[in-house]
Amino acid sequence: MQPILKLENISKAFPGVKALDHVEFELFPGEVHALLGENGAGKSTLIKIMTGIYQPDSGQILLDGHPIKIGNSAQAQGYGIAAIYQEPLVFPDLNVAENIFIGHRVKGAFVDWRKMYREADDILARLGVSLDARSQARGLTLAQQQTVEIAKALSLNARVLIMDEPTASLSAHEVEQLFNLTRVLRERGVAILFISHRMDEIFEIADRVTVFRDGQQISSKPIAEITRDGVIQDMVGRKLESFFARNEHEQGELMLSVRNLGKRGIFSDINFDIHRGEVLGFAGLVGAGRTDVGLALFGVEPADSGEIILKGSQQQIRSPEQAQALGIAYVTEDRRQLGLTLPMSIAANISLPSLRKYLSAVGIIRRKAEQATAENYRQRLSIRTPSIWQEAGKLSGGNQQKVVLSKWLNTEPQLLILDEPTRGIDVGAKAEVHHIIDQLAGQGMGIMLISSDLPEVLAMSDRILVMREGQQMGIFNREEATQEVVINAAMGQSRSDVKV
Amino acid sequence: MYRIRHYIRPEQIREFSLIFIIMLAVLFFGTQIDGYYSARTFNRIAASVAIITVLAAGQTLVILTRNIDLSIGSIVGFASYFAGQQLSANQDMHPLIAVGIAIGFGALLGSVNGLLVVYGRVPSIIVTLGTLAIYRGVLVDYAQAKTITTDMMPTWLVDLPRVNLFTVGEIEIRVMVGVAVLVVIAFQLCLTYLLLGRRLYAIGSNPDAARVAGLPARRIVLLAYILCGALAGLGGFMFLVRFGTITVSAGVGLELSAVAAAVVGGVNIFGGAGTMFGALFGAVVIGTLEQSLLRMPNVSEFVRDALLGLFILLAVASDAVILQQLRSLWARWAREARETPAAHSEKESGHAS
Repeated sequence: MQPILKLENISKAFPGVKALDHVEFELFPGEVHALLGENGAGKSTLIKIMTGIYQPDSGQILLDGHPIKIGNSAQAQGYGIAAIYQEPLVFPDLNVAENIFIGHRVKGAFVDWRKMYREADDILARLGVSLDARSQARGLTLAQQQTVEIAKALSLNARVLIMDEPTASLSAHEVEQLFNLTRVLRERGVAILFISHRMDEIFEIADRVTVFRDGQQISSKPIAEITRDGVIQDMVGRKLESFFARNEHEQGELMLSVRNLGKRGIFSDINFDIHRGEVLGFAGLVGAGRTDVGLALFGVEPADSGEIILKGSQQQIRSPEQAQALGIAYVTEDRRQLGLTLPMSIAANISLPSLRKYLSAVGIIRRKAEQATAENYRQRLSIRTPSIWQEAGKLSGGNQQKVVLSKWLNTEPQLLILDEPTRGIDVGAKAEVHHIIDQLAGQGMGIMLISSDLPEVLAMSDRILVMREGQQMGIFNREEATQEVVINAAMGQSRSDVKV
Repeated sequence: MYRIRHYIRPEQIREFSLIFIIMLAVLFFGTQIDGYYSARTFNRIAASVAIITVLAAGQTLVILTRNIDLSIGSIVGFASYFAGQQLSANQDMHPLIAVGIAIGFGALLGSVNGLLVVYGRVPSIIVTLGTLAIYRGVLVDYAQAKTITTDMMPTWLVDLPRVNLFTVGEIEIRVMVGVAVLVVIAFQLCLTYLLLGRRLYAIGSNPDAARVAGLPARRIVLLAYILCGALAGLGGFMFLVRFGTITVSAGVGLELSAVAAAVVGGVNIFGGAGTMFGALFGAVVIGTLEQSLLRMPNVSEFVRDALLGLFILLAVASDAVILQQLRSLWARWAREARETPAAHSEKESGHAS
């Protein structure tokens, strides 16, 4: 049988990262093909190439054996390639039928409403769902919105449907309905690319499983030939790079205790301690709720239940201002949006949260002192820039990250929350950041290290807390935490199997 | 040559490009209006520019935070009417107290705007569009169609517009111009050297990052509105001084002149960038155009407004083109500076990569 879509020798590089490295991939009609891989394995890049959002650097795409170029999303649609995502892209102010037919070319100047509703009803009936074509998309559940997207794909005669973590925010019942829809599509001969982090789902729905790791295809087998352990082995089979080795140091007294921390619908029952000089790693898949715990501790999105006990006294942290006053600093995952004010200078960015320190008696900002601080950090963290008065937006990712670090170190925190501190920065800068983390812990700072880079968490942390879908799966000591143990917990091995 | 890029940024040159635009406008009007180049014309334009400058300064503070205040035309009207009424009732009032009343009254109205924007979480354009109408409506009701006239004012106020600070050749620099320049300098210093200034820029250029950095964003935005209201109050007092006669429609449309002045002066309408000097130059452009068009023979009121709009668009568009050219020039210089050392070793591959 000929594959509908075939990717040959596809490569795609971004500055500092090889996202896809000579990848081969085939999709056959009437199959559900699961794609597995850790964060950053190249799944998203592959999808974006298939839907025309990215162009491959090399290699070719074959549709029914003929080479094609997918220049943009519209062209992808034209070739019959559609995608639905975890967050459906519906227009809330339009009704279901309008959403289904939004991308179609309408013949003539007027919309034939009656025909449109008839066809929408028809498609929904074929999918076996009861959804009123005239109801507004606003107010539909996430699952219903996904159904609308699937109907849209069907109305476009899609032959390839990409489902990117469609089940991540659905209830068990809704997942079952989605799978029924998926089976309907499979019987109609649609090729489905299915991405999920839930092993059980893969085994339930997939016909074939392909594993990606570090931008390469590692294995591709029919479901009958694979085992759970084998898949996980393929996913993590990465050698621990020669990571910066932590220096041995004494752990100090208890600094932070978190008890039963929860935020409705986001995470619940989080319990951990951080001591002075300790690095507590937070591992898990993207969306597991690790960042949300960090944001709660820093008061950006406060928790609504549980206790935060800082140095023996219980605290209600309601705002970043307050968290800062308590000696907490948060280096955000989203450098460009939340971490830096890009048009402002490096010096102004560093002093921003602690500007009061730089006021003279009459309330004027002392530029000299500000400059001295910035120069100090420039040296300490080796920020490479011609001048500290340069715009922060002009720095490379690694140097921007060092500016964000400087900014928060300058508030002299006792607890430092690092959220993906090395994402998107090059290897050299990464090693430097690791060195800084080790130094800070050595000076007695408590550090919460959220990272999706598994070898990084394993190498840098004293203990590792693993989260999955807002739940704490366990805390592992340095000795017992291996890649397999952590991935297993992150992907939802039942709690009883995990040593806590 | 391209060393200068280290010392001057394109955005700084852009402010000077406005001077060029002003000169062009003045040359043009010189050919159209008899006796245009006279001290009288200068004084007329200067008095108008002074008021717009003060209002644009306030507007700039608000726009820097990614907000806008459309109500200042009504604040000007109300503050000038209120201050005028107090003065007519109490002729012996100390001048500074009279100014203080106008400023305080403006600040009060500004704080209402600020509270609604900050705590009501209504977009500022809606809030101030509402208060623009509300303040005017309340003024009409409060004034009961009475007009404040010059003969009700104390003599010092009537004489104030012609008080000279100093003379340059034939041109007299009067006290209103002095006040405007003082406001611009004072607030520019605030923006550059005070906590408030740094925070205004930070909030406007990245509100999310400012919040995460722990800045008291709400209080800062509120303060910006209060200051904008206070400056509108001062503008109202200047309005009273300039005209002496205050009806309930005093200051109608001034909000648009102020916003236009700020934007023409390079204040980013999306917040985070702009200076007081820019707003000053913008006010000079707007004031000059408004007052000169007023003197143009055979131009009706409606054509005048259309021409003013056209000129504003031209000013903003040419400004954008100039800025873009300058930026690409700077970028080219930076590139050349980078490539020069490498050129010796990799002459051929230098451009290919």
